[in-house]
Amino acid sequence: MLRFILADLGRMKAGAVVVILLVALAVALGTSVTLQERALRLGSARAADKFDLVIGAPGSETQLVLSTVFLQPAALPLLSGDVLADLQHDPRVAWAAPVGFGDFYRGHPVIGTTTQLVTETTTGFAEGAIFAAEGEAVVGAMVGLAVGDRITPTHGEIGHGHDDVQYRVTGRLHPTGTPWDRAILVPIQAVWHVHGMDTGHDHDEDHAHDHAGDGHEAGHADEDHDHDEDHGGFDAERPLDEHWHEGEIPGVPAILVKPATIADAYKLRQDYRGNEATQAVFPAEVLTSLYGTLGDARQVLAAIAGAAQALVAMALLLVVMSHIGQRRRQIGALRALGAPRGSIFALVWTELFALIACGVLLGLAGGYLAARMLSAEIARRQGFALPVEFSGSDVAGLAVLLVISALLAMLPAWTAYRQSPVASLRG
Amino acid sequence: MLALTLSGVEVRFPGLDSPALRISELTLPAGGRMSVSGPSGSGKSTLVNVITGLERPTSGQVIWNGTDIAALSEAARDSWRGANIGLVMQDFHLFPGLSALDNVLLPARLARVADRAMVARAGELLAEVGLTRPGQGVETMSRGEMQRVAVARALLRRPGVIVADEPTASLDAANGAAIGALLIGLAEETGATLIVVSHDPGLIARLPRRLTLAGGLVQHNEEAA
Repeated sequence: MLRFILADLGRMKAGAVVVILLVALAVALGTSVTLQERALRLGSARAADKFDLVIGAPGSETQLVLSTVFLQPAALPLLSGDVLADLQHDPRVAWAAPVGFGDFYRGHPVIGTTTQLVTETTTGFAEGAIFAAEGEAVVGAMVGLAVGDRITPTHGEIGHGHDDVQYRVTGRLHPTGTPWDRAILVPIQAVWHVHGMDTGHDHDEDHAHDHAGDGHEAGHADEDHDHDEDHGGFDAERPLDEHWHEGEIPGVPAILVKPATIADAYKLRQDYRGNEATQAVFPAEVLTSLYGTLGDARQVLAAIAGAAQALVAMALLLVVMSHIGQRRRQIGALRALGAPRGSIFALVWTELFALIACGVLLGLAGGYLAARMLSAEIARRQGFALPVEFSGSDVAGLAVLLVISALLAMLPAWTAYRQSPVASLRG
Repeated sequence: MLALTLSGVEVRFPGLDSPALRISELTLPAGGRMSVSGPSGSGKSTLVNVITGLERPTSGQVIWNGTDIAALSEAARDSWRGANIGLVMQDFHLFPGLSALDNVLLPARLARVADRAMVARAGELLAEVGLTRPGQGVETMSRGEMQRVAVARALLRRPGVIVADEPTASLDAANGAAIGALLIGLAEETGATLIVVSHDPGLIARLPRRLTLAGGLVQHNEEAA
């Protein structure tokens, strides 16, 4: 029987291949939508994992999260530096660190922060060590720089260069699977000094440049600009000072806070949300509401994928039914020669179900590969890992799909079963 | 080795006034050899369908050795036919992609009765009909060879009746004569009842009993001297 099925399929190889591909395509579409959406959810949840509480100046909560967690360039309003000092001395805070952006090096964001943030949010160094002086930098795993390289940042992604500023790479981090893998981390004081922020030096910017993506834009808007700056007090050799006191700290776009306890997290958020100078967000919460919106889009995509599958199923049924019609003689002959009707039913059903099952499995693999490739592409560009993985619900989905295919395959099998064997004799 | 008795058989198709076949009484003893001839539309195919149980007559009895197959269910007729009738058809109905041996065994396999002994018998039958390469794919065979495979397939389950529907019509004269001789020889050897629908005078001449149909009725029913 198996040999007969194989011979039969072999005879209509082209048709069988088309059927398999058709099914595979429809299934791959649905699979990749599901997997990719899940990957996005998992990936961003992981990216936001270390970001318990983020405090920024009032503005868009979503933008604050996108800028700090995903390092999406945007002009964030600055927060008074005093907030940072307050937080560092707050007993409810395990640690708090500024996140300063605005500079880039070849598309990589240059982030000003503290040694504590680097230590707390990463898994250590693949090579070298953390920055210890103002002119030193640490690179994420996906930055194509080696320890010892020297870089000059530009202001904004395509902004003018800070030509006399040079960072020396001292360490290279292990991958964390977050957008921070693409970042170059430097001491926050370097960012301040590069932009002339605590010394009263004029900070020069050519405002003919498009400063979209300039994190400090709002903070500089009213500064006096004069074009031959010396980049404030930037001194590559100056040792780090991460103990700040009220009144001495320039503004920062965002502060990442690690609360001591969960209760503290809520209290802190309450405190920093309830005034006009700051806003405080739980990135996880903001992301969840974002997914609420994304979820609708996913449903649309899933509906489209489902419709495509239904369409393929219908087309398939049409093709198979007409195929059964064409095989009337063959089926009739088998009956005439003494094959029981049950065997005919089993024959047609097995043949069709085997094709569909092949297509489903192929589509599953194809969808998985497509999602993997998409994730890899996003990881390459955004530096944040989108883990593509199957879950229990996929197994259930697969089972449902196979059961539907099995039922669908019964229809032509039933038609064949009902066919009169007389048809074979001189049709 | 089955004896046939038809009584009061009538086959009517919807929309047709006259019956496609009407035979009030016809008997063929076990081991008998009969040809059936007549112009097209005379009811030959209908007769084959009725006596093989492919079609149920509108009325009447089709009795093979005491079993009225007209009264059996479709599934029962299928299994009865598989066990008792060896069918050889004009168009062979072999399945490309399978070897001669697999073709011979296919109906038995689909009926789940093919055992080791039957596989051995299939090989012997192929040798008996003059084919030396049981593994050869049927699509590479000549028409004469194909019909030999079909004859071997018909005989696999040692049927009590061999029914051949125009077995030589699509073959050249030499192959036709060989197939005719083969059928008659095998029927004699196994003692099976043989019914051959044919236009082929050479083949008809070799069968003692001749039935001629016209317009669904028996025109001649004679035993050659």
